[in-house]
This record gives sequence, structure tokens and C-alpha cells, in this order.
Amino acid sequence: MQSGAAELANEAASVGVHLSPLTRFILAVLAWLPATFAIWYFAAPILLWPAALLAEVAGRTGFADLVRIVEQTRAVVTFTTTLKPGQAIAGGIVTVDVNMLLYSFGLPLFAALTLAAREGNRIRTLLIGYGVLLPAVAWGIVADFLKNIAITAPLQVVSQTGFAAWEREAIAFAFQFGSLILPAVAPAIVWVLTHREFLERMRSSA
Amino acid sequence: MIRFFIWFVALLALLFGLELTPWLQRWFVEPWTGALAHISAMLVTGFDPGVTAAGKILRSTTSGFAVSIEAGCNGVEATIVLIAAIFAFPSPWTHRLVGLAAGVVAVQGLNIIRVISLFYLGQWNRDVFEWAHLYVWQALIMLDVLIVWLIWVRTLPRIDGHDAPPPPPTSGAPVTA
Repeated sequence: MQSGAAELANEAASVGVHLSPLTRFILAVLAWLPATFAIWYFAAPILLWPAALLAEVAGRTGFADLVRIVEQTRAVVTFTTTLKPGQAIAGGIVTVDVNMLLYSFGLPLFAALTLAAREGNRIRTLLIGYGVLLPAVAWGIVADFLKNIAITAPLQVVSQTGFAAWEREAIAFAFQFGSLILPAVAPAIVWVLTHREFLERMRSSA
Repeated sequence: MIRFFIWFVALLALLFGLELTPWLQRWFVEPWTGALAHISAMLVTGFDPGVTAAGKILRSTTSGFAVSIEAGCNGVEATIVLIAAIFAFPSPWTHRLVGLAAGVVAVQGLNIIRVISLFYLGQWNRDVFEWAHLYVWQALIMLDVLIVWLIWVRTLPRIDGHDAPPPPPTSGAPVTA
């Protein structure tokens, strides 16, 4: 695979500009990011289908009394619950939409880092990273759903969930961790763990 | 590497848990976020005088558009990740502190660029703003943290013998005591 960054690096070399391995790597990552983001965005319905499936399994097994149906429409997962919106809407049920893109932007970041490192079997590394990161995406989806019904929903809905105070605190923490830390940090961790030799060489070249 | 990973995750969970406490939110995160808004406004008024900051809100007095700097956009979480990565990696304390100081400047510097760029993107196109806000800048800030950490790791003295002088030759002139 050849990227714009590789061409840029070659061009720099041809005019006598010396770039350190780290600089070349950073340029390559920045060149790959638009491509990986575009692929991620347009292929999201397929790429994120396993994450939606994991979220459905987690929802149906962990919160079987609350979750009735889980459906995916493009990059959005809709949880149809057993909860009632209140007496004002007779016969209604509460549904929660979760945008999976919010919790999966680490996938294109991981792909750009992996492709830029040009290390070993990149297809295999991409597949490993994808498989490892899917549970992190599912974590964000489920935590978002739970936050919606247990914390931000109207009081008459929250009261039906039966969550204790400490459980609501745990949901709040899980949501914060799943939205602020996990989506960005998980790809970086997986990339570091799958590129130990690359990092060692990068360090040796200092 | 496994030891680093365990320490990193433990420190990350500890620091993130501390960040969420009401005490730290009130006495550190909120003032920090407010300072970020004011620094951004101060930088922007150099070329756009119609920008003011109030609390954590950056506002254009000409267009009326405003952005509120919320959790995830104040660079605190990115800084926490950097702190955990630096302190989990085996290195001398002086290197850790220097790396931390330089790293915080680098991460927060880019974060100010993020805030200012989102402020203008939001006035130009709301869809582009959402994309940049929710996905692109999140990834770029984490990339910044990773790059800062890689640069810092490259500056560390080797402790595994790689920097040691080569061993004496096993043949040739005998070594005398």
C-alpha cells in the first residue's frame, strides 16, 4: 500500500530534506487519516455491525427486563425498552437511539497508525485491532443507553428502571469512561501493544 | 511492556476517577476550563475583536454564535492519559517531570487550536463543526498525546544496556589487571 505521505517523504528526500523516522511516521499518519476516516464513515453500517451485535447481547443478557428489541439503522442502534414514557402517552414505549460513530472514531485512528508504521503484516494487525476494539465500542453503546434511561430520562422513566443509587453512579462512571477515555485511548493502547518492535526501533533511532 | 500497560491502566483509572469527584471538578476542572476559554478569547481578539469569554463560554458578539467548552474538550482527559503514560513508563523522575511539563504545554496548545478552530467552524458550517468536534479533533488530540509520548520516550536514557560501552574484545592483547 502506498500513501500520500510516502510520496511526500520521497519528494522530501529527492530535494535533500532529511526527515527523522518519527517525522516521517507522523506525516504518514496525517496522510492516512482522511482516507481511514472516509472508509470508516461510509462503511460504518457494516464495520460497526459486530459492535451493535455485542451491544445487543450485552443488553439482552445483562438487562433482559429492560431491553425488548435492539435494531441497527446505518450507524445508529435503537434500543426499544419495556419502559413506559408516562401516563400522558398511553401505550407508548421508550426507545433510545445511540450513534455508534461517537464511540468508534478510534478505529480510523488505529488504522492510520498501523498503515503509517508499515510494520509486518498490516492486514493481520488491522484485523486484530478491529477485533480488540469492538468490545470498547460496544461498551460505549451500552453505557450510553443505560445513561439515557437511568440518568437523563424523565423521573417517571428513571423510576421504572429500578436502579439503586450506587448503580446509577456506576452507570455514570461507565458512560464517562466509555465516552471520554475509552474511544480514544483504546486504539492507542492496542497500537502500542501491536507495534513493540517498531517502537523499539523508533527509540533506537533517536 | 505488560508492567507498563498495567501501571498505565491503573493510573488512568485512578486519575480519571479523581477528575470526576465534585471537589476536583469545582476547584480544578472548572477554573481550568474557564482559563482555556479566556486564553482562547485573548488569542482570537488579536484578529477578531468581537470575541468574548464568560466562564467556559466563548462567544462572538457579531454573529451571536457561542461554544461552551465541556468535558472532553478541555484537554483534561488527554492530559490525564499523558500523565498515566509518562508515569507508567520506567524512567528517572527528572525526565518524567520535564516530559510532563513539556507534554502538558503541547497537548493544551493543540487543544486551544481545537477550541478556536471549532469556534470558527461552527460559524461557517454546522455539519462540519459536528464532524470536527465529535470525531476528527478527538482523534487528533489523542494522536498528539501519542506523539508527545513517543518523542519523550526517545529522549530517555537507555537503562537496558544499549548505551553501555561495547564489551572488551575476546581476542587480541591480553587484559592485564
